[in-house]
Amino acid sequence: MDKLIAQYTRSSHQNEFYSEQEQHDLTESHPPLSLKFSLPPIDDSRAFLRAMTDDHSNPSCPIKLAHGTTTLAFRFQGGIIVATDSRATAGNWIASQTVKKVIPVSRLSRGEDKPTDAPTPGLLGTMAGGAADCQYWLRYLSQQCTLHEIRHKRRITVAAASKILANLTYGYKGYGLSMGTMLAGMTPQEGPALYYIDSDGTRLPGNLFCVGSGQTFAYGVLDANYRYDLSEEEALELGRRSILAAMHRDAYSGGFINLYHVKEEGWVHHGFNDMNPIFWKTKLEKGEFSNVTSEL
Amino acid sequence: MTSLVNQQPHSEAIGYSFSQSTHAPNKQHSFYPYTDNGGSTLGITGADFAILAGDTRSVAGYNINSRYAPKVFKIGGDDETGEGAHILLSVVGFAADGHALKERLDAVVKMYKYQHGKPMSVRACAQRLSTILYQKRFFPYYVHAILAGLDEEGTGALYSYDPVGSYEREQCRAAGSAASLIMPFLDNQVNFKNQYIPGSGEGHALEPKKAGPLPRSTVEQLVRDAFTSAVERHIEVGDGLQMMVITANGIEEIYTPLKQD
Amino acid sequence: MTQHRAALRLRLASSSSRHSSSTRPVTLFLPSSSSSSSPSSPLHLSAKRIIDYVLLGITGKDFVLMAASKAAMRGPTILKAEDDKTRQLNKHNLMIYSGEAGDTVQFAEYINANISLYSMRNDSELRPEAVANFVRSELARSLRSRNAYSVNLLLGGVDPISEKPHLYWMDYLASLAPVPYAAHGYAQYYCLSTLDKHHHPDITLEQGLKLLTMCTDELKRRLPIDYKGVLVKVVTKDGVKVLDFDNDRIVKSA
Repeated sequence: MDKLIAQYTRSSHQNEFYSEQEQHDLTESHPPLSLKFSLPPIDDSRAFLRAMTDDHSNPSCPIKLAHGTTTLAFRFQGGIIVATDSRATAGNWIASQTVKKVIPVSRLSRGEDKPTDAPTPGLLGTMAGGAADCQYWLRYLSQQCTLHEIRHKRRITVAAASKILANLTYGYKGYGLSMGTMLAGMTPQEGPALYYIDSDGTRLPGNLFCVGSGQTFAYGVLDANYRYDLSEEEALELGRRSILAAMHRDAYSGGFINLYHVKEEGWVHHGFNDMNPIFWKTKLEKGEFSNVTSEL
Repeated sequence: MTSLVNQQPHSEAIGYSFSQSTHAPNKQHSFYPYTDNGGSTLGITGADFAILAGDTRSVAGYNINSRYAPKVFKIGGDDETGEGAHILLSVVGFAADGHALKERLDAVVKMYKYQHGKPMSVRACAQRLSTILYQKRFFPYYVHAILAGLDEEGTGALYSYDPVGSYEREQCRAAGSAASLIMPFLDNQVNFKNQYIPGSGEGHALEPKKAGPLPRSTVEQLVRDAFTSAVERHIEVGDGLQMMVITANGIEEIYTPLKQD
Repeated sequence: MTQHRAALRLRLASSSSRHSSSTRPVTLFLPSSSSSSSPSSPLHLSAKRIIDYVLLGITGKDFVLMAASKAAMRGPTILKAEDDKTRQLNKHNLMIYSGEAGDTVQFAEYINANISLYSMRNDSELRPEAVANFVRSELARSLRSRNAYSVNLLLGGVDPISEKPHLYWMDYLASLAPVPYAAHGYAQYYCLSTLDKHHHPDITLEQGLKLLTMCTDELKRRLPIDYKGVLVKVVTKDGVKVLDFDNDRIVKSA
């Protein structure tokens, strides 16, 4: 009987509203980039997220998952070239044409946000898939890399950094994360290193990757003209031209061409340039894009 | 009838224990905790100010439920008057989520001030808002948020977010149901997209017009024009225009009526 | 009448409903396993399964180069590795095709017969433009019938009078476009950007073949399926000719 009474008795207001822990979490002004996420109060949270955000299986979902990006990175004798477009889409709506899809990773060596011509030490990550997923987890990775630097007094290798991210995405496999990212960096231990990591948990080292809906078009130009012994000038131009090719053929890619070069001393930014003048310059001066008419 | 007779009684003697699971199969009806309350918001920055505006209509389906439901909030100020706030937040989409988000950010900004003895910078607040949104990555806030304030140099700062927290600093941004009507207008009038300097060349040699910060009076008029136009062509926008202007002197709130139909 | 009005009102209501872009998360596309999101095709056509083969066409100074993959597939099987997916319509016109099994050959033969009939009756051949528009109209007509042909086509021809090359791209919905170079199937994704960069309208046949090799090399490098090489034909003012093409080149990935 006591047991029964205990079962139905509880102090008034217990479990009402937020618990102390929850209240603390709510008002904590600088939380760690934590791995605690709220889940919907139903059994199959994955199905819920799919129903709300996956327009592939549910065309009338309220939070539309859309497509569109082209990112590429390749190794050559002078380091690594990283190039992206800058378009973000939600359905057919172009949400932004000015997205920065190359994200510097590792805070200590990143310096400040003020632009400089000098190389900045550290890794570069690229964004494809869910913009928020990429931004959040590359920031999380940044935090882990910074901690590594503090603990071990040396920069993290690209291999280790990519493994952190891959283990993370593998841990959330099936939860609906969507990211396809490349990590590029140069460390004394590895030389120029390039890794591909995605939300399935894939992690691949390689010479050359293109990621996103425009990947095939970028590959088309990149593969045909790629050599390891490319000069720095040639490599930058090839990266730019490959992104341009994808912007031209893939409707989900466009905006500005964002170019980076990773060297031994760090990465250098080579501009965030509007594709339109570059396209017309390429067409009119080199005679490429003969499918486009310039006059009627 | 037979089914009733054949039904096996539960093994437990006491059948009315609610805290223990009943043996009924877990039946899940579609869980849909969202609705779209419509409306639109808009933010533009200048050299020493930022404007955040929104209409005040609240709809559910085709019903207009309120003609004054503000979407723009002061963050980090006094609860009643909003005095002392130095950041603005606008939320559009599902109003309840929007309200929860605003309350949460407000609490965080206040806690920051108590803990650090200084107001939270807009940059820090922007990053924090992103993580707040991402904490609900698997059960998203159904909102499109815009954050505005003045940065360390005193220039206008505007950050726009998607429902799960990806964000970007921009010059201007429209959100909500009429975003597709207002944003192209803003591209042209604020960032001077597709505007060229007359006589600067022929065809592809034409020089594009350079965009720069606009004076406050121009921006205010642009906001009014954007909303009066959106009201004409979108059923979910109307009733009133709430404009918040943040400058070094504080926040000024301007309300102008829009068409009521 | 009342029913009518109710239906009308319903339509008005639904047409003005939801198209809020406000609360979609911004995403940058990540290729899923099915990267080509199949457009829900209209009517009965959705039931048909268009098999993606490789079709390529390139125009040059005085020729049109046409290439079609040699594999004939059904399900997971390659039924034939030396399939010819080309049809010579008249002296100066060549059609290459891919699509629903059965439809392809039936449609090609039907077109082939009618173009031949025209040549016989009038003792003159149709020019490339006329051929293209005839094929288009036939496909468009079939599209509006109970069982339409699901065939993707490339039409290449040389005008015997002006000696100018012509290439037409046409899909199974009978969209027609004159183009300097074209691709169907997987080749679209991998080869168009290569062609964008390297094609010029006044290339020689030799350069054209080099360009084609670049395209097939890329397909060998990146396409996970074996399309068993391509059959290459060239249309010039002298007619249609099969070209020797090295399909056994080994291509190394970067």
